[in-house]
Amino acid sequence: MQQGGGSETEVTWEDQQNINKFGRLNNRLHELEDEIKVSKETNENLEDASNELILTDEDVVRFQIGEVFAHVPKDEVESRIEQMKEVTSKKLEGLEEEKDSVVAQMAELKKILYGKFKDSINLEED
Amino acid sequence: MASSSSSTPHGATERRGIPGAQFVEDVQTYLNQSGLDVNSALAFLQERLQQYKLVEMKLLAQQRDLQAKIPDIEKCVDVVATLQAKKDTGEALIADFEVSEGIYSRARIEDSDSVCLWLGANVMLEYSCEEATALLQKNLENAKASLEVLVADLQFLRDQVTITQVTIARVYNWDVHQRRLRQVATSSADDS
Repeated sequence: MQQGGGSETEVTWEDQQNINKFGRLNNRLHELEDEIKVSKETNENLEDASNELILTDEDVVRFQIGEVFAHVPKDEVESRIEQMKEVTSKKLEGLEEEKDSVVAQMAELKKILYGKFKDSINLEED
Repeated sequence: MASSSSSTPHGATERRGIPGAQFVEDVQTYLNQSGLDVNSALAFLQERLQQYKLVEMKLLAQQRDLQAKIPDIEKCVDVVATLQAKKDTGEALIADFEVSEGIYSRARIEDSDSVCLWLGANVMLEYSCEEATALLQKNLENAKASLEVLVADLQFLRDQVTITQVTIARVYNWDVHQRRLRQVATSSADDS
């Protein structure tokens, strides 16, 4: 929090709660960005895997379950990968939605806080 | 674990051993009530901030552990489910597993009604597939619940940190303002 030049703007409990909420949202935003990155990577990997699968001519594929690679027939692997892709896509959608909501809420709070405190407060990413 | 809260005016509740930061309505009143001068007050608040940071690091480490544990348990649930599914077809499951780093071997897993679960502390117990699934699910739920509580703790902690940082800034600004007023007062006294 930037230290202002001795201005007299009073900080009310409501202001403090807004500042706290902004902090929480900012943290959540960073977490979401990381989770989205991981989700996107997983999605790409699954895409690559299913592409490789189409190219291969073996009927038995070593599919990782837990720590071991089980011998699974190609068809089953295909459907498993499709299922995993669906789950990851849904998760990614949910994360993006949450991120949009968080960004919107942060913009609202910025307006309110800058409106009251102007230069005495710094809400930007360093 | 119930969260204990002893509420006093505005936000000085404590949560599971983490002291709440008292919100300061008015800096002058706060300094009078605590009987501290500006520098002592700032020192006290800075120390509080350090304590909060320590607790935050501890909680973050616990969070990382839990976040690693949960996918592990999910993988185990997956394996047991696969074994159960294979049991119904009557075929053996052939799997490649890691013997040592980079070295894999093939295993043929026959039908089996039971699995062994590693419980930690060099203890491994045999369970039926159903019991194993139940136990693993319970562990998964517990881990997820603990994670939720931990996340709430961290949010509470971060709020207290923010309140303390804002209070430090306000006390400092108040002091600067007071000095300015005194300067103006003494310079106008000199002029007259």
